Amino acid sequence: MDTMTTALAQDRAETFDERVRRLLHWHFDPQTGSAFWLRQRGLLDFDPLRDIDGAADLVRFPDLTEQLRHVPVGDLIPRGLTGTGFRVYESGGTSGAPKRIVDRDYRRRLLSWAMQRLRAHHIADPAHWLHLGPSGPHVFAYDCARYAALGNGMFHTVDFDPRWVKKLVAAGETDMVKRYVRHLLDQAAEVLRSQPVKVLSTTPPLIEAICADPELHAAVERSVETIIWAGTSFSPESLRQVEEVFFPDTTIVGIYGNTLMGVAPQRPRRPDDRHLCVFEPYAEAVWIDVVDEHGAVVDYGQRGRVRLSLVSEEMFLPNVIERDTAVRVEPAGDATVDGLAEVGTVAEVGDVRVIEGVY
Amino acid sequence: MAGIVVEPIVCGRPVRSLDRAPLADVRGDLLGEVGMVPRLMAVGAVTRARRTADGTPVGHDLLLRAAELFATADLDGETPEEYERRVALAAGLPRVTVRHAVADIVRSLTHLPATTRAELPASRLGDGYETAWVPAGRLFAAVMASNHPAPNDSWLHALALGYSVLVRPGTREPFTARRLTLALLAAGLAEHRISFLPGERAVGEYLLEAADRGIVYGGGDAVRRWADSATVTTRGPGRSRVLLDRPVTAEVLDHLTVSAAYDGGTRCNNISLVLTTGDPRQVADALAARFDALASPEVTASDATLPVVDATRAEGLRRQLAGLTTGATVHTAAGADPLVRLPDGSHRPLPTVLSTDDPRHPAVGVELPFPFVVVAPWRRADGVAALGDALVLNLVTDDVDLRAAAVADPSVRKVTCGLTLPWDSTPGIPHEGNLSLFLLQSKGVVSTGTRDHALA
Repeated sequence: MDTMTTALAQDRAETFDERVRRLLHWHFDPQTGSAFWLRQRGLLDFDPLRDIDGAADLVRFPDLTEQLRHVPVGDLIPRGLTGTGFRVYESGGTSGAPKRIVDRDYRRRLLSWAMQRLRAHHIADPAHWLHLGPSGPHVFAYDCARYAALGNGMFHTVDFDPRWVKKLVAAGETDMVKRYVRHLLDQAAEVLRSQPVKVLSTTPPLIEAICADPELHAAVERSVETIIWAGTSFSPESLRQVEEVFFPDTTIVGIYGNTLMGVAPQRPRRPDDRHLCVFEPYAEAVWIDVVDEHGAVVDYGQRGRVRLSLVSEEMFLPNVIERDTAVRVEPAGDATVDGLAEVGTVAEVGDVRVIEGVY
Repeated sequence: MAGIVVEPIVCGRPVRSLDRAPLADVRGDLLGEVGMVPRLMAVGAVTRARRTADGTPVGHDLLLRAAELFATADLDGETPEEYERRVALAAGLPRVTVRHAVADIVRSLTHLPATTRAELPASRLGDGYETAWVPAGRLFAAVMASNHPAPNDSWLHALALGYSVLVRPGTREPFTARRLTLALLAAGLAEHRISFLPGERAVGEYLLEAADRGIVYGGGDAVRRWADSATVTTRGPGRSRVLLDRPVTAEVLDHLTVSAAYDGGTRCNNISLVLTTGDPRQVADALAARFDALASPEVTASDATLPVVDATRAEGLRRQLAGLTTGATVHTAAGADPLVRLPDGSHRPLPTVLSTDDPRHPAVGVELPFPFVVVAPWRRADGVAALGDALVLNLVTDDVDLRAAAVADPSVRKVTCGLTLPWDSTPGIPHEGNLSLFLLQSKGVVSTGTRDHALA
């Protein structure tokens, strides 16, 4: 619940800078802040209430997300938010412990906004969903269940543990990975056999696996009207292949996001777009900059690292440097924030391959 | 953008990919850009190729025309000279090596019918009894490396026998596979028979998974996954070697130098190890003196004979060499830089000879993409096992028992005797196994009709 808007005039929306100032008071007040941030306050070399004036100053905070791997999640809940009902979500957890966040109401608001954004792509309503993606501690399934409910549909799921797959990949167990992917596809095929699913939410690697299986591809083409992809990225040509070659009659919508910041759905394409897919973040609570190696915001059309801050009543996560890179895109239409395109992962640096043989 | 643009060719048709990758040359300059094939485009290529594949052998006349075009024609604006220059700059290969490779490929295509005949057992087994040799599948995937153009003849062999082919070219050198593809199409090959798919390594892995038969070239890392595959044959480091059991004469030194340094040491059958019954240091000193005389201008010069690498690979090699030389003696000229920076910005690995008294030294069995030879001791008590794990074992010895043991050893793929060069061959001599048998399956065809003994 957004309970702290009393200082604002009723007739205008709060700016992001105003929001930052208001919520810093919330998170650093001994009465309302979380144990996590109240502990941090003494460790900062500045005064967050006096020295932070808005979004641009958030970079003064250290990136503390590493601590989310081990801090007891109860310490993250602001004292001002009494009551129960918090859920815990975890990041991928590829290397070491996953990062954990708590959420009660923020994500519901975020997802209501996101569903509006998805509706701009003309998703059928009502529409039953099949989620061929991670569930368990991963937030992706929760998000999609919420979209399905908002769209008056049922929500089908499969059993999918991405951490197991990553372990298999790391161990070079290629054949086991193939069998696991087959297991996932079989579960999806089973649902599609009898259930009138109109929306499929899944990941790019699984879309590729569907396309490589002519029978399943035909089944998806027959019933699914919208494919929502998230979790990893598509290269521009891969996305073109999905849209033009494999699913020319299906609506394809991407969602960029992660556990920490939430979601940034693809905005409807515009005639002058230079990218097939531009993501727009949730301007109310998330601030994203695309920055160069010195932390300076790059020009439009340039690629940089994604740096974000999440400023909500429930969580305050300033100055998070993501592993993702993206191309910065000018705001379009009535958007007030930059778009992101061609999201990719930062390539491993300093990795000189050992030369073996004459190759 | 200026420079060369390499685009994918899917079932005979050029397509433009939105995924672009720069193609840098050995000098660090931008040579051009490559339209990269993502997995999904490869999936589409496989699906289309499979739908249309018919298993028909490609006529030899067409292959001969393609060979002629490959060697002499202007293909998509690329003259033979320009092709040579591109490969030299992209892969760091001496131009003379590229010319050798073109001649190798032309020869291989010319001899293909003879090669196939020699590789297959007799099939007419009397009146009404015949063994038919037919493709064991319909799709063949080739995942190429960039070290040398000549190995592209393997997928031509598959094509000739009836496969439809999907080639993922080497990352640094996509030009040979592309030029061959263009030559085949210009010679009249049906479009659906060939796809040229430059892409990342995962695309090659996918093609090998999806095809019925495949071949993969590369370092141990690239081929390991397929080592035990029944449908994919691997061409990893050759680790070709010489057993030297004779006095080191000028003639022997000539032989060793050519075996190691021909084509700049970039072939998988260039030798990288000399095992000697004599004194390793003495052999290494004599060979190093020959290596010191190897000189070469920049790789684009028509008389270049040694390969070069770009700055990144140079740094990798420098570190690797530093590790390998621990506990070994380096026989190159004192103070010589193991990687010479040339005026054009490329780096030339110095032809190098190491010696060690320890046959288990980590440098023993290491193959590098330039003239690089380790000399180590071998004693009869070590047995033939110590000679094995080699693409080619060259026996410079009069010991006939040893020859028999080497021929019997399954880890040796080819034996050459005396001062025979490692690549000396004639149609039917296996290079690394018998490709025709790998590609084909045998099938009994019996047409004896009803004979009275049938149900007797």
